[in-house]
Amino acid sequence: MSTAITSRDPGYPTDRENYLTNSSGILSWIFTLDHKRIGLMYLVGVMTSFAVGGLLALGIRLHLLDPEGWMFTGAEANNIYNQVFTLHGAIMVFLFIIPSIPAALGNFLVPVMLGAKDVAFPRLNLSSFYLWCFGAIFFVSALFSSGLDTGWTFYTPYSTTTDTSVILATLGAFILGFSSIFTGLNFIVTINTMRPPGMTWFKMPLFLWATYATSIIQVLATPVLGITLLLLIAERTMHVGIFDPEFNGDPVTYQHFFWFYSHPAVYIMILPAFGIISELISVHSHKHIFGYRFIAYSSIAIALLGFLVWGHHMFTSGMSSLTTIIFSALTFTVSVPSAIKVFNWLATMYKGSISLTTPMCYAISFIFLFTIGGLTGLFLGTLATDLHLHDTYFVVAHFHYVMVGGTLIAFLGGVFHWWPKMVGKLYNETHGRIASLLVFLGFNLTFLPQFVLGSRGMPRRYATYDPEFAFLHQMSTYGALLLGCGLLYAFIVLMTSLAKGRRSPANPWGGATLEWACTSPPPYYNFERPPVVGDPYDFHNIEWDAQEEKYISTEPERKLVPEETPEEVPAHH
Amino acid sequence: MIPALTNLTRPMPFLADVEESFWFPKQASSFASEVDWVYDFILYICIAFFVPMMAFMVWTVFKYTKKKGTKAESQVTHNTPLELAWSIGPSVLLVWMFVQGSISYLDMRTPPEGSYDVGVQAFKWGWTMDYGGGTFHPELHIVKDEPTKLSMRSTDVIHSLFIPAFRAKKDIVPGRYNYMWFKPTVASEQVSEEELAKAKKQSEGGDGWDYDKYQFTPDGYTFFDLYCTEYCGTNHSEMQTVVVVHETQEELDAWIKANSSRPDDQTPAEWGQLLYNRRGCSGCHSNDGSKLVGPSFKDLYASEHALASGDSVVVDDNYVRESIIDPKAKVVAGYQPVMPSYKGQLSDDDIESIIAYLKSLSSNADAK
Repeated sequence: MSTAITSRDPGYPTDRENYLTNSSGILSWIFTLDHKRIGLMYLVGVMTSFAVGGLLALGIRLHLLDPEGWMFTGAEANNIYNQVFTLHGAIMVFLFIIPSIPAALGNFLVPVMLGAKDVAFPRLNLSSFYLWCFGAIFFVSALFSSGLDTGWTFYTPYSTTTDTSVILATLGAFILGFSSIFTGLNFIVTINTMRPPGMTWFKMPLFLWATYATSIIQVLATPVLGITLLLLIAERTMHVGIFDPEFNGDPVTYQHFFWFYSHPAVYIMILPAFGIISELISVHSHKHIFGYRFIAYSSIAIALLGFLVWGHHMFTSGMSSLTTIIFSALTFTVSVPSAIKVFNWLATMYKGSISLTTPMCYAISFIFLFTIGGLTGLFLGTLATDLHLHDTYFVVAHFHYVMVGGTLIAFLGGVFHWWPKMVGKLYNETHGRIASLLVFLGFNLTFLPQFVLGSRGMPRRYATYDPEFAFLHQMSTYGALLLGCGLLYAFIVLMTSLAKGRRSPANPWGGATLEWACTSPPPYYNFERPPVVGDPYDFHNIEWDAQEEKYISTEPERKLVPEETPEEVPAHH
Repeated sequence: MIPALTNLTRPMPFLADVEESFWFPKQASSFASEVDWVYDFILYICIAFFVPMMAFMVWTVFKYTKKKGTKAESQVTHNTPLELAWSIGPSVLLVWMFVQGSISYLDMRTPPEGSYDVGVQAFKWGWTMDYGGGTFHPELHIVKDEPTKLSMRSTDVIHSLFIPAFRAKKDIVPGRYNYMWFKPTVASEQVSEEELAKAKKQSEGGDGWDYDKYQFTPDGYTFFDLYCTEYCGTNHSEMQTVVVVHETQEELDAWIKANSSRPDDQTPAEWGQLLYNRRGCSGCHSNDGSKLVGPSFKDLYASEHALASGDSVVVDDNYVRESIIDPKAKVVAGYQPVMPSYKGQLSDDDIESIIAYLKSLSSNADAK
């Protein structure tokens, strides 16, 4: 680019600087304290869990191809089905969605976005990864011992009486909880203390706001899950009489304990997704995010209000009418901040300069799917309609639209967006976009029919069903197969890039946040000195270099010396 | 071959019945029109938001997708009045949803005075409806236009009673009574004698009546589905029964009378077999030798069993009787003490009938 304006481009890292290659050998990974390597190991871990959970999901859908059950046969068919849907839920929730964005992408991005060299407590960070591994081992051993058939919610008294491996699995979830707390704690301290000079709270990228809000929930809510699971184990082994009516316990108390964590956990899953989408929409529209403060505050509002709505999982459980109505009212309040974000994203795209890149395709499909997920929540928050829809496929469809259509799509968008930064390679855009389209179509074909199934009365967690529901179930199954193909396609696109991808420039998308100011992949030390901090969504000085196919930051010519000598010379001179 | 491919060619099954809408099963209780109306209204609100938003998004994508390097037309950062408007504006609709939902909910929570009361016992994996006077039956029989209250209890884990056509649902939590009520507005129809006789002939020798296949009860009534909607273990998906709505109280009384005790023309063994299917025994005890939750009834009578306590017992009349009244007293080794007591729920004649049925299933010499 031949111009008088000076441009800034960090170039490419040398092998000695590149965090992937600056040290080698398996031990350099096992004992690494580099947040980027830990993030990458998390990424491999959560993707493996996702693959396992996804295959289980396909098992569920294939079984439901036929009203009498197709996939699993024989006398144990129902038991197998019950174990499969339980493990699908437990693995997806505890091993995939909760750590997906915060632990995998968050670990990689938080320090880089802050211009810092690492998180506040690198050793705690590594230990949280190993806790995740231990938790995963417990889950897998539950799978290979006597299975688990309680549903991921472990409702008592079923969970205290079934003879499957409840204790192994709850210990696994307990350990995973600590992993989650450590990550949250680390991010809170990092974001509070390690922001570079000039980065005030309202100059932070929105992904950091979302991560901060998520971390608050992780630290405050997860201990309750730990207590609940310990009490469940105590009830099972010692019959302490808190949850099991046979020993004067109350099963509904368990539900209160459980959802006091697990509803906020829903926001642990979706808030980081909001953060990613805010980044993606702004960067790929090359336009300042619209309503920064509203988006930032709404993340915090969701984190706080999310603690007050757990009761809506229990509208039919026999709580008093007053309690039920109060929870219904609180539930509606939490829908407002989510709606604000969607409006703001749409306004950001308006009059932008949109590049339909793969991450942007995911961001657009996120808005579509999450809006459906959010709006269908209104039917469930409204008491009269919830009584009919509760525990039917309508609920299944609703939370899959939020968790898969929301979090998973945002996670994929985030992975495609930061992939060049993480591995230093560009993937094939055309194939990336085709994969995102397949995922979008497959997802809708899977879960749209489930809304109708639910409102027509199909209960959830059924291994067999009445023949009148067969058509919609079959549509859903074919959708799931298409979704599976789309996800596999996306995975292949990423893997191919590792082998054949073009080297990625420092700023392939034109982002203004700090991670684009260091090389791709970043050097092991991230930044030599704290970088210059500007508005994270100011794209004025980011220019496309068509020759080298990359974005560079330009610096306008600065006048350091006044052109004219003042007439009067100051007295002290 | 994938079975579903063949089914795809037939018309959409949910449009077959003109009385059903796209979203809902038939409206058969006083709640149904209320719930459906609120649902439809929320649906219209959602569409009114969703369609313009998505149209706007798609239009934006088409209009503003630019060549790389093009600068955005605008870099506006915020517009507080606009943002406040779209934050607060839609809240009015949320308030309406909350208020309307709660009003309807309170109606659905409060049973009117003098409702017809049916006891419901839920267990793994079946239902027993208590009509009073020692009459128990797995089917729920009620009267049209008569407010009906269900007093529900569970003997093991949490279940949930759901009748889609009534739009009514309530969890059944062990250790407490939960109540629900509804007023059915549509009576079941009776099928013709020939059709019923044909179906009865067909299902003879099979394992029980296939409700899904015939779409009417063994008494010849069409029905509404009743599901368990709280996951309760292995056969959760088979924990279903049916609701039959009678035109008049007299019709219901006649039905109750017919099912209260063994008719004169039935042998104890036949009646025992009926109770075996009807009262939930078949959920845990097979009659073909396969092991379920409890010991199989085949060849059980007059056989000798080791007990969990270490003793052993010969299955005779007294042991069967004790096991029905106090199931946890002598548990067979290798099984969990999970069977609920049937004390007070089976008459002496019923128990004798079950014993007779057990004898008929046993090839042990002493059983004859």
